[in-house]
Amino acid sequence: MHELNWGLPVILYLFLAGLGAGAVTVSGSVLLRKGGFHDSRMDIARYGALIGPIPVMLGTFLIVFELGQPFRALNLFKMINLSPMSIGTWALALFIILSGLYAICFIPRQATWPWLGKARRVLAWLCVPLGISVAIYTGVLLGAMPARPFWNSPILAGLFVLSALSTGTAAIMLTVALFGEKSAEHREGRENDQYLLVSSDALLLGGEMLVIFLFLMFAHLTIGDVRHAVEVILPGGSLASLFWWGVVLIGILFPFVMELFQVVPKLLYGRTFRSSLVLEVAVALSVLAGGFALRYIIVVAGQVTGPTTL
Amino acid sequence: MNDQEKPDTSRRGFVQLLAGGAVAATAASALGSLAPAGGAESTAKQSRIQYGMLIDTRRCIGCHSCSVACKAEFDVPLGVNKSWVEYTEKGTFPNVNRHFLPRLCNHCSEPQCVAVCPTGATYKRPQDGIVVVDSGLCIGCKYCIQACPYDARFLNPVTNFADKCDFCIHRVSKGLLPSCVNSCIGGARIFGDVNDPESEISRQIAANAVTVLRPGKGTEPNVYYIEADITEQAENSDGSYRVRVTTHRSIKERR
Repeated sequence: MHELNWGLPVILYLFLAGLGAGAVTVSGSVLLRKGGFHDSRMDIARYGALIGPIPVMLGTFLIVFELGQPFRALNLFKMINLSPMSIGTWALALFIILSGLYAICFIPRQATWPWLGKARRVLAWLCVPLGISVAIYTGVLLGAMPARPFWNSPILAGLFVLSALSTGTAAIMLTVALFGEKSAEHREGRENDQYLLVSSDALLLGGEMLVIFLFLMFAHLTIGDVRHAVEVILPGGSLASLFWWGVVLIGILFPFVMELFQVVPKLLYGRTFRSSLVLEVAVALSVLAGGFALRYIIVVAGQVTGPTTL
Repeated sequence: MNDQEKPDTSRRGFVQLLAGGAVAATAASALGSLAPAGGAESTAKQSRIQYGMLIDTRRCIGCHSCSVACKAEFDVPLGVNKSWVEYTEKGTFPNVNRHFLPRLCNHCSEPQCVAVCPTGATYKRPQDGIVVVDSGLCIGCKYCIQACPYDARFLNPVTNFADKCDFCIHRVSKGLLPSCVNSCIGGARIFGDVNDPESEISRQIAANAVTVLRPGKGTEPNVYYIEADITEQAENSDGSYRVRVTTHRSIKERR
């Protein structure tokens, strides 16, 4: 058995930082598009902003303590170089600070002071690109190593971004479903919010499916290192059952079908969108579980495989 | 411009200074008596010392004296190795053979561990081409361990720093040979400056058919082998093994 140098703390960091960065990115994008939107959309921006920084900080805490001597992590700030980890560290540090401020701006529900609304927008402009950087750099980091054929693919970074946005959307969906305004006069706004979240998540999951298909397809069609590495998740491989059941079925296909089931009547036939608490909670939880399974599979599979010839 | 991955250290500045025109010639001759005779014509990069090793596997008897000498030299903790010997057993009786493959850090000319290091803790020394880890900067993130195609790095369980072979820098800088070379009873290892065409190692590399490990990874290793058997462990589906690789490490499989 190969040595797993990067274990659960790293896997959790990839999952949590992706989720948080995704939630803040979705929140910022929705806030900046508010012009054409129903006023209730502020709920999406607010919940995304409030929940986003927490998992990022938690994940960062985990990887810093994974080092053994946590204060040594300060060495990362003595320089910046072209290592994806170095650039990612700076992006992550900036993101934590700015998304924290962004979250603070959303603690009062209404922007009572005019400068608050402006601060929200300025911070959103900064947090969206930074959130995408935090979500993408981990994929670039893993993809940069020819010694790890399972990871050494530019499409990995794309997969990480889609998964981050989709888990971020799911986290907002879950929060809105559980803690959103449930009063009767707010019902329409809430259903508009959930429609936007559910349809966006379906789109993101569709993108994830496409990327995973391309990943498997190219790996299967090639020979040598990459083919050998990807065999661990193909049927018969040691990680195959977790990949096909956990990632593909629970993480993507089930929520995708459920979301289409909710979205299609309005999208194609103009019927009223019916928000369903049980369905939204189930979909959000399965997307989150699938996002974690995806990070787990990728981090482990990359480490148990290697080049085939010396 | 092979150094572009790590542009911002003071060391890099030093390299660029060295690489620049007239300074290079003076610096190269000042740096070592091992500089090539034709140093004036060669480029700045070539005139620098690049230590390397040539391992003649025909002379290796798999006695592990290099592994033990390395362990003793650095007090390497249990379960990890800076230098080790792999056995490759092949064939079915009576047509069988066993080959030995001594392994260590390749001190690559294009080291991926250096390219990925986020703190600049791992760097290639400009004066002799040895890839070292600066334990004052290393944070123990293990990125370099993932990136090394040779599995030559490990996390030192005592210090929590990335660790690996450093060609016995403390011995070499005093004019001694690395410990593994010193202790090799078969004389299988030749150590020296591969950029000096007059050195013993350069002459032996020129005179023999040599290989490096995983040349396709683009790392340009500086550890050369004569008659290295790079056969990989075969799938053992029918129960009778044809190839078996023993790494003699806690990591049983080659990366």
